[in-house]
Amino acid sequence: MDPRYTQLEQAIRTGDVEAGKAEAVRLAESSLSPLAIFRECIEPCLKNIGDQFSRLEIFLPEMMEAAEVVKAVQETLRPYLKAGEVAQTRKGRIVLCTIQGDLHDIGKNIVKAMLEVNGFEVKDLGVNVNPAEAIRAAKEFEADIIAISALMLPSLPYVKDAIEMVKTNEDYRRRYKIMVGGGPVSRDWAKKVQADGYGDDAVEAVKQATSLMGL
Amino acid sequence: MKNTTRLMDVIQRSLTGPLMEEDVFNRQVTRGIRRVVREYQIQVHPENIINQDDDLADRTWQAALDFLAACGVYNQSTSRVILYTLEELLSALADAPDQVWLGSGTDAVLERYRRVEDPLVPINMGSSIGSPVPEELFIPLMQSYIQEPLVDVTCPASLMTVHGQEIRVGSPLEILAAWEEVDLMRIALARAGRPGMAWTGLMLSMSDAGQLSAVNPAGLRSSDMHTFGIVSELKANFEILNKLTHSIRMGGIVDPYANPIYGGLGGGIDGQAVLITAAMIALSVVFMAACCGSSPTHPFNFNDTGKEVMQATSLAFQALARNSHLMTNLTITPVGGPGTKTLLYETAAFTIMSTVSGISRLLGPRSATGVVPAHFTGLEARFSGEILHAAARLDRGRAEELAQRAYACYVDQLDQKPYGLPFQEVYDLGTIQPTKAWKQMFDETLAELAQWGLHFG
Repeated sequence: MDPRYTQLEQAIRTGDVEAGKAEAVRLAESSLSPLAIFRECIEPCLKNIGDQFSRLEIFLPEMMEAAEVVKAVQETLRPYLKAGEVAQTRKGRIVLCTIQGDLHDIGKNIVKAMLEVNGFEVKDLGVNVNPAEAIRAAKEFEADIIAISALMLPSLPYVKDAIEMVKTNEDYRRRYKIMVGGGPVSRDWAKKVQADGYGDDAVEAVKQATSLMGL
Repeated sequence: MKNTTRLMDVIQRSLTGPLMEEDVFNRQVTRGIRRVVREYQIQVHPENIINQDDDLADRTWQAALDFLAACGVYNQSTSRVILYTLEELLSALADAPDQVWLGSGTDAVLERYRRVEDPLVPINMGSSIGSPVPEELFIPLMQSYIQEPLVDVTCPASLMTVHGQEIRVGSPLEILAAWEEVDLMRIALARAGRPGMAWTGLMLSMSDAGQLSAVNPAGLRSSDMHTFGIVSELKANFEILNKLTHSIRMGGIVDPYANPIYGGLGGGIDGQAVLITAAMIALSVVFMAACCGSSPTHPFNFNDTGKEVMQATSLAFQALARNSHLMTNLTITPVGGPGTKTLLYETAAFTIMSTVSGISRLLGPRSATGVVPAHFTGLEARFSGEILHAAARLDRGRAEELAQRAYACYVDQLDQKPYGLPFQEVYDLGTIQPTKAWKQMFDETLAELAQWGLHFG
């Protein structure tokens, strides 16, 4: 990586929010364009962090901290971006939840961190989320993707409900892709219930989301 | 302290503890684990599957107590932290039971606290632990476990439907399914000739309403184990406390579990070991467990037979066995399924590791990671039963050699997810006996382990 980005990369890797913000300002006020900072530093750095997690060389705490720094850096750099450039710094917007009747959250949190370090903006709705609530949140957040996790067999019908709500409404069908994952969810089941994407784990979830965004 | 008094104390703390947002609690867990790992110099041996270092186990125990006293347990319903001081934790741990009768009549068995390298054979809870099963296969499948002489207690599979209908959490179908689980278990226990055998339930009931409906003298009995999972990591809510309250008032055997994910908030192996230890202490102190259970999970393969997870698990359960008299259990969750040697090697490695590390009960195997319908059979519980008896004669040094040898036989298979064959293809549904091919694979693998030096019979 370009040596000019060493300090920002270091701040992301060590989870140092204040250092990240300060370095982002310093870079933006030098000759570098904010978009270049995203493309040449933040994106490759985050991709590397995601790859390291997929090999379990680093863990959820490091990913959560890196994601926090990047969020702060994005906010810091926003005033420096020209009109239309904001959208170019994001891969897509995702609402994420564990579905109704299910309280598992660590798997979902890992997916969230992986999506964030791979450039997606994620709104985490938490656990035990009603399908209608997930769709309402997708509208408010102007999401591109609704990502649903289910770890328990008796929760799966609610995942189907969410998919049916989207697929039977022309507006929702056009606006949102639905991806699903979790222990009892298989690729075959996802296909059968007409989910747009299926992620076996957090690494696969990122691949699916990227593919659903046409990237 | 009497159970009801303890329960009132837990409820009060969850109503009056410090208010905190959940994200802040998550960060508190992460930072707290990091702190104690550093301060207590927790560093797992990079090669050993089974911990060989007593001082490290004792430091892990101290680290877990320190962490739990600082961090507490989060109640999502009240956004408050249930906190205990170090002295209160130690006092509650001193009051924990060290033995419990499971089941009734001639089918009852005594579970007892075990030390590291204890020659007492752990209880064998032969079961697929809530893995999905079609209705028509529930009875023969459960019978295949219950009929095994080396199986002491059991746990139902999860019905995929009830009266042909898909089951929904929080709906009348969940209540019906809870009762169906009880009714079908009664039939399976009777058919296997062991009506008083204890079983853990309810597997299908995620909501408190589902659980409470069938936990009563005519349903899940007080001589059975009443289970519920806490929310990872170190979180609960009123639905969980409702289940606990009902079981306490009914005099049931409280048998909860916590399954930290490797690479999650605890981080790597060292932090995971501390987090598992702390979670087991929390199950005893906050959730009043008779026996504290876990199945630490790999984030990608969803098993617990990978090296890193076994390393953390071994250290954590030795920390518990050396420093408390808690009864503890582990669930084997292999990737391999019936009809594969992978499943048997995974079961061997995990059972050896668990037995010498001081567990009082082994659950499983939850074959094919517990997610593939009907991909589990009673024969693998016979296998784990054989290993439990043989491993109780081992010291940690010899156990390490054998666990490493078994591990080498399956490590390359894990990513391929060899889920094997369904029950109906490896068992004769008329006789409820394994097919010749599956039994032959069992015999061959047992003979191979005997050649390695495990003594059976």
